[in-house]
Amino acid sequence: MAEITFFQYIYGDTILHRMDGRLKLACMLLLSLAASFATALHHYLLAFGLLIFALRLAKLPWTALLKDLRFFGLIILLVISINAWTIPGDPIPTLPLPGLSRQGVVAGLRFAGRLAIIVLVCAVVTGTTPLRTFGQVIEWVLRPIPFVPAARIATMVTLTFALIPVLLGQFAEMMAAQKARGIELRKNPVRRLYYAVFPFLEQMLRRTDQIVEAMEARGYSEVRTRAVFKSTKRDWLIFLLCLSVFLYVCCS
Amino acid sequence: MPILETQNLTHVFPDGTVAIDNINLKIYPGEFVVMAGANGSGKTVLARHFNGLLKPTKGQVLIDGQPITKNILEARKKVGLVFQDPDRQFVGQTVTEEVAFGPENLNLPPAQVEAMVKTALEVVGLNRFSQQNPYVLSGGLKRKLAIAGVLAMQPKIIVLDEPFTGLDYPGVVQVLQQILRLHEMGHTIILITHELEKTLAHAGRLVIINQGKLVEDGQPEAVVYRAEQYGIRMPLRKGEEVKDLTWLK
Repeated sequence: MAEITFFQYIYGDTILHRMDGRLKLACMLLLSLAASFATALHHYLLAFGLLIFALRLAKLPWTALLKDLRFFGLIILLVISINAWTIPGDPIPTLPLPGLSRQGVVAGLRFAGRLAIIVLVCAVVTGTTPLRTFGQVIEWVLRPIPFVPAARIATMVTLTFALIPVLLGQFAEMMAAQKARGIELRKNPVRRLYYAVFPFLEQMLRRTDQIVEAMEARGYSEVRTRAVFKSTKRDWLIFLLCLSVFLYVCCS
Repeated sequence: MPILETQNLTHVFPDGTVAIDNINLKIYPGEFVVMAGANGSGKTVLARHFNGLLKPTKGQVLIDGQPITKNILEARKKVGLVFQDPDRQFVGQTVTEEVAFGPENLNLPPAQVEAMVKTALEVVGLNRFSQQNPYVLSGGLKRKLAIAGVLAMQPKIIVLDEPFTGLDYPGVVQVLQQILRLHEMGHTIILITHELEKTLAHAGRLVIINQGKLVEDGQPEAVVYRAEQYGIRMPLRKGEEVKDLTWLK
């Protein structure tokens, strides 16, 4: 569990760590939208450049993050492959594989680039924002909307993010325990899936029960202390930078 | 007047298992009570009733003379429950978030929450870990954090369910020193354990639960000799006295 750094808050005292949570989430939204609208190569380069700068600024552990990103690497490869072989178009003379099209590869690369940008944006935001702040911002956004249980939704989102690494850690431990007892000798993939999924689901439900009990024990209430947000000029400048990137990608 | 009282407390699970049976117990302010029993004796179920986490099948729990069902939030504020496995208790992503969870539930002003978190972390000596992820702390520090989490709500009674499970010697010493400090600060301590050799010297009272029933309740010196018949290891060796039963030397 301790080894997973992705989507985990990593303590630091940088500009991004100190930034107003509301503006940080607005920046996340703007950059994710910019990624969705990106079409030209310079759009991607601009977004990646900004994200590399943000990662350096936040002093997040590069190597550990990249290691955890392997999973997304597999998804990105899958996305490129599916696009490359399903979108019809011209063959690539230097890579004459049956069914592979140039237009498909380009579309796949575009899609993968968008996905990579969104994943990195999330890594920067979750790495520099404590979950409590995250939940407080969600509550702040939802509070004015009538009939929406803002506090409950904020708690649900916060707990989900808090529990993902815990559950992944538990899953890894469970798989290691199964390997230690020779699960790899079983050749039937359905049987192996059965042994992986059902115990994990049971553990997940038990864990949920335990969290509910622990929260009740400390008097969980939806009428909770409200956060006081403060934004500085520097926070607004970062926001304006992200807004400019968004407008540039959308309008050019 | 007892600070915590159970009257004919009975809990039967839906499958018919009687977890605790007609328990009458009075805990007085400032007491240090060790509650012992073999695995499955009903200690943890009883502890969950102290905090109102379970509803009794029969009987009731009173805090300061008031049934806890009258104001469950107040009961949870007065009785802090530290779970056996601290990992089960953590809801925050940092030590500060974890400790702030309780005071925030009380809807206190942010400045007061901050002050309470600071004080609780100071008491357990975890200030320098305030921005750490709770899951990466050592076993002993995790227990201290779990204690800080309930301490921030300023409870009168602290119930610790098997706080030494899985800890190495330094971890046990760390947690035990912490518990004694809390007792000195005026908190009523209910310590659930079956490892009497680690703590009994500090307790003023020993309660034994066996098969859901309260079977022994008295001064440690009087009760400890009968512990073994209820599945608890006899902690005293030849020539030893109850005052020797501590891991603090």
